[in-house]
Amino acid sequence: MSVSQEPIIKTTKLTKIYETGFRGEEVKALIDLDLEIYSGEIFGYLGPNGSGKTTTIKLLLGLIFPTYGEIFVLGTSDINSPAVKKNIGYLPEGAFYPDFLRGEEILHFYGQLYGLTGRELRKRVDYVLDLVGMTHARRRMLKGYSKGMRQRIGLAQALISDPKILILDEPTTGLDPIARKEIRDILARLRDEGKTLFISSHELLEVEMISNRVGILFDGVLRVSGTLDELLEIKDRIVEFANATEDKIKIIIDKGGEIFDQIDSKVFLRAKSDDDIYNVIELGRSVGLSLVKITPRRESLEELFVRVITSAEAERRTKNE
Amino acid sequence: MSKVIEFVKGPWYIAVYTWREGLRRKTLVGFLILSLLVIFGATFMTSFLNQATVGDVTTDMDLKLIKDICVTTISIFGVLITIFISASVVPVEVENRIIYTVLSKPVRRFQYLLGKFLGAQLIIIMNLCLMGGLFFVALYIKQRILPTLLLWSVFLTYFEFLIVSALTFAVACASSSSVLPTIAGLFIYITGSLTEYLKDVYNRSGQTGEFLDSLIGYLAYILWNILPNLQRFSLKTQIVNSQPNDPPTDVLIPQLVLYALIYAVSGYIIAYWIFRKREV
Ligand SMILES: Nc1ncnc2c1ncn2[C@@H]1O[C@H](COP(=O)(O)OP(=O)(O)O)[C@@H](O)[C@H]1O
Ligand SMILES: [Mg+2]
Repeated sequence: MSVSQEPIIKTTKLTKIYETGFRGEEVKALIDLDLEIYSGEIFGYLGPNGSGKTTTIKLLLGLIFPTYGEIFVLGTSDINSPAVKKNIGYLPEGAFYPDFLRGEEILHFYGQLYGLTGRELRKRVDYVLDLVGMTHARRRMLKGYSKGMRQRIGLAQALISDPKILILDEPTTGLDPIARKEIRDILARLRDEGKTLFISSHELLEVEMISNRVGILFDGVLRVSGTLDELLEIKDRIVEFANATEDKIKIIIDKGGEIFDQIDSKVFLRAKSDDDIYNVIELGRSVGLSLVKITPRRESLEELFVRVITSAEAERRTKNE
Repeated sequence: MSKVIEFVKGPWYIAVYTWREGLRRKTLVGFLILSLLVIFGATFMTSFLNQATVGDVTTDMDLKLIKDICVTTISIFGVLITIFISASVVPVEVENRIIYTVLSKPVRRFQYLLGKFLGAQLIIIMNLCLMGGLFFVALYIKQRILPTLLLWSVFLTYFEFLIVSALTFAVACASSSSVLPTIAGLFIYITGSLTEYLKDVYNRSGQTGEFLDSLIGYLAYILWNILPNLQRFSLKTQIVNSQPNDPPTDVLIPQLVLYALIYAVSGYIIAYWIFRKREV
């Protein structure tokens, strides 16, 4: 991934203000979004519910229109042109497909819209059905599909044309753990095939597992974006001790030690900086604990998320006052 | 040429799938079965009842009644199906969000809408063919004369429905549920069938010279000019009163077809103009 490369998706100052109700109340769903997605990237687009993820995706697909700002996809601002759309597969949020059609009929139909025909189309339908594990239900009407099955068919229709770019809006939300794992495996496979993935989610662990770059959106504003290496700070050192008892731990807490975790007779203390390590070791020794090891710990995506959202909320509160 | 084919391919696929999906809708199939039952009942049951009194020959009165019932059935059920399908093909997809997946494919909005509209026409035509076909066969069995006049009537009825369909479709493109466009469709059909009265109103107005009187006359005149006159498409009187293989005499067919096409194209353009910038 070279920096000089043209981004595949680019937005500048992208803003969407919805007008609702009869009095035209404004909802600022997205504000001045500058985003660049490069070929081959797996971009995790994060944010709590209502932060503007779906709005962004619908703008990228031309389903709704910007209040102002610009969108470029594959180098052009005519994002609705069939030439651009040919390269995009999209999985909408929630699973809504024509109920009165069979699984394979739907894929057949969507494939036709991409210009696939005949043998080629049939081969693609077979392939994607197999990929999402739906071959057994291909002749059944969608009416009888479970939510997980619908989501798989959704993923299959997004993949039918073997597109370069995949835009997935909360692909695993609302699924059971097994279905989630399976969808995640498919996504990992697509990543390995070199596709560009734009995944919106609030399932942080999943995003952390698969993405190489993330952006965190809150209240329509992109708060941070970057690679996980850039964003997740290594601040903490975890110091592990053995021979812990309840009494000893109580003393440590009284003396201002920060307990990170505790398993049986093991206790893990947090050191906030390199210098702090010595204080923590000294503290442990003073109550008779024996040092086991010291490990640096990278912040999890969840902690970053909470940190970013908390400060954004604080900012909002001060603004309102 | 290949460009044209490229352009209509998408709409065609959308039309076919709209048609297929429509055929699996219970309301639609219910209407269709009901109308076929009425036509079947009207033609065969009366002959069965009358055999005792009149023998083999069905009386003139009976025939008139049968024709009247069947022509009316075709237009009423036909228009209900027309309105139902034209009002729902687009709003249903907006409501259940299928439209997201379709519009994100390499299909322009113009093509999508064209596909939906054509799909609705396929359903309307198929349904007219089934109803008309059954009536055609029944009449032939009764009179042993090919009822070609009926074919003309079905042909013209389609163009009448095309107008109702296009205008209902335009309203549907602005709404997110099919309730409002259904009501609008019924309104269009009913007022469209009464436009002759508007002309009456216009002719009778202006006699007192009062402002209100003239105003009403003027309004009636405008409405009479804007609204489609659906009565023009009806061959009912002729079908009921004349021989089944007579040529249609009451109407100017090419003019009527053109008249319907103008309304249909205008309806479609309005629909597209609304839909072009619609957020889904
Ligand atoms: N069609 C709409 N009209 C009015 N407000 C909307 C509309 N769609 C979304 N919103 C509002 O915009 C904000 C962002 O919504 P959305 O993009 O769906 O968030 P997310 O996908 O991150 O959950 C929310 O406050 C939501 O209520
Ligand atoms: Mg969303």
